[in-house]
Amino acid sequence: MERQLFKPRARIFIAYLSLPVLWYLFVVVVPLVLAIRYSLYEWSGGPKMKFVGLSNYIQLIHDYDFWFSFKNNLIITLLCIIGQIGIAFILAALMTTQALKFKEFHRTVIFLPVVLSPVVIGFIWMLMYNQQIGILNWVLRAIGLGTLVKPWLDDPKLVIYSVSVPLIWQYIGFYLVILMASLQSIPKEIFEAAEIDGADGFKRTIYVILPLLSDTLKVSIMLCIAGNMKVFDHIYVMTGGGPGKSSMVMAQYAYNNSFIMFKLGYGSTISVGILVLSLVIILLSRKLMGGSEK
Amino acid sequence: MNIKKIAFKIGALILNILVMILSLSAIFPIVWLIYSSLKTEREFALSIASLPAHPTFENYVNAIKTAKMHIYFFNSLFTTVISVILIVIFSFIVGYFFARYQFKGRTLLYTMFLAGMLIPIHALLVPLFVQFKVFGLLDRRITLIFPYVGLGLPMAIFLMENFIRDIPHEIEEAAYIDGATLTQTLFRIILPICKPIISTVVILSALSTWNEFSFALVLIKSDALKTLPVGLTNFSSQYTVKYTQLMAAITIAILPVIITYLAFNKKVIQGLVAGAVKG
Repeated sequence: MERQLFKPRARIFIAYLSLPVLWYLFVVVVPLVLAIRYSLYEWSGGPKMKFVGLSNYIQLIHDYDFWFSFKNNLIITLLCIIGQIGIAFILAALMTTQALKFKEFHRTVIFLPVVLSPVVIGFIWMLMYNQQIGILNWVLRAIGLGTLVKPWLDDPKLVIYSVSVPLIWQYIGFYLVILMASLQSIPKEIFEAAEIDGADGFKRTIYVILPLLSDTLKVSIMLCIAGNMKVFDHIYVMTGGGPGKSSMVMAQYAYNNSFIMFKLGYGSTISVGILVLSLVIILLSRKLMGGSEK
Repeated sequence: MNIKKIAFKIGALILNILVMILSLSAIFPIVWLIYSSLKTEREFALSIASLPAHPTFENYVNAIKTAKMHIYFFNSLFTTVISVILIVIFSFIVGYFFARYQFKGRTLLYTMFLAGMLIPIHALLVPLFVQFKVFGLLDRRITLIFPYVGLGLPMAIFLMENFIRDIPHEIEEAAYIDGATLTQTLFRIILPICKPIISTVVILSALSTWNEFSFALVLIKSDALKTLPVGLTNFSSQYTVKYTQLMAAITIAILPVIITYLAFNKKVIQGLVAGAVKG
């Protein structure tokens, strides 16, 4: 480490650090340890806590609803990787061209949904999808596509795709800005050289921009997976996991078990399960992509 | 040559139009929401897409009178302001000690705080609920400040530490030679230098606190203490849904964020990216 400044006495360290450290222990570290402990009990919140060992975990492994939720998380994640990072990548590539005007405007506007609360996004899209007053069906009718009018959030087959759209829509700007920041650190001469060499837009994108962004793209995919494994707010507001269980995701399932059915023990088991599955998926995809720079 | 030029121009025009459509679709839902909130329920039912013929604030008056949006708004504001202040102070102090000193337990503390960035918050909901019940901290005005500060700390400490590490030591050495104490050096000399990173931390933590939903949903029960996101869900389940009124309520919840964003968009974008990519 660097050279030391005049070093204050231990008691000053303690005086300054104890409050933040205790605070953090109280709301993050201790609960995390307790979550693991509760996951070994059968418990509905009352004074009766029954130790059941690993049987909650065995139940979890055989829990069809949990794995169904996990599958939904995977679908959402995949759609978000394609939708968010795909669209963001195309936009970021376009932002390097001379042909595109109003770049500043596009960036500002596309980023706007990122700062809004997921709950609000859920509500806005619930209104847009609404059967009677939804603007989506209205637009479809207006442009003569009345046959496509659908009960977007009430059709069990469709709902998982319907709930993915707002998620994709909200975070395109986030990945756009990350990719743009990383493109800015690349010297302009590279793009100019590619233009002089006669590379057209498509070739330039595939052979110049894609390789330059590969590390950033990997990081983006990781962020996207981590974010979508814990998706909750949007779903809670739009469907609550319904109709039936067709749009159930893991976090909603954990919430329902813990706070609707008051199975606090099993609910904790589910959240530990989510933690483990997220880590596995992240490590797996990192292996698949050949590891990123970090 | 000329034809090629024209073709290029047409291509560029089409491209610009397409991207413009995409951009507009990114804000259209929000714009639609805001102008629809100025219509009466009747007018909205008759034509859901048109602009309000006679803009009225009736929905806002009702959102405040019957749905008590102003209470949720105040609760969100209170929780956010206090949490952000605490996050800034704590992360500044911890970040400073991490950046400048080797001490016993430093590695342990450092790992503990950084690992906090990986913890999925949903794993904390049940144990925190139980813990707060035991300590009588459920459903109080200060309840949400605890998790919000705790969860905001890791990222803030990380950003602060990185920033302070680049401040030259000479500045503090000069202060100590002049007889300044640690506390004076910390708050009179280092703190002002940290202004740029403090504003990033403020933006990041204010946004995540203002928008947070899960803890607010689980830890708060009484209506008088709910924050905006939970207040909104309340709104739509408790009253027969009047769409325009709901839209007014949502607008009340997002307007402060949108105005802040439009005023400081460069800083906000930069802050969120710094937070996400973690250096």
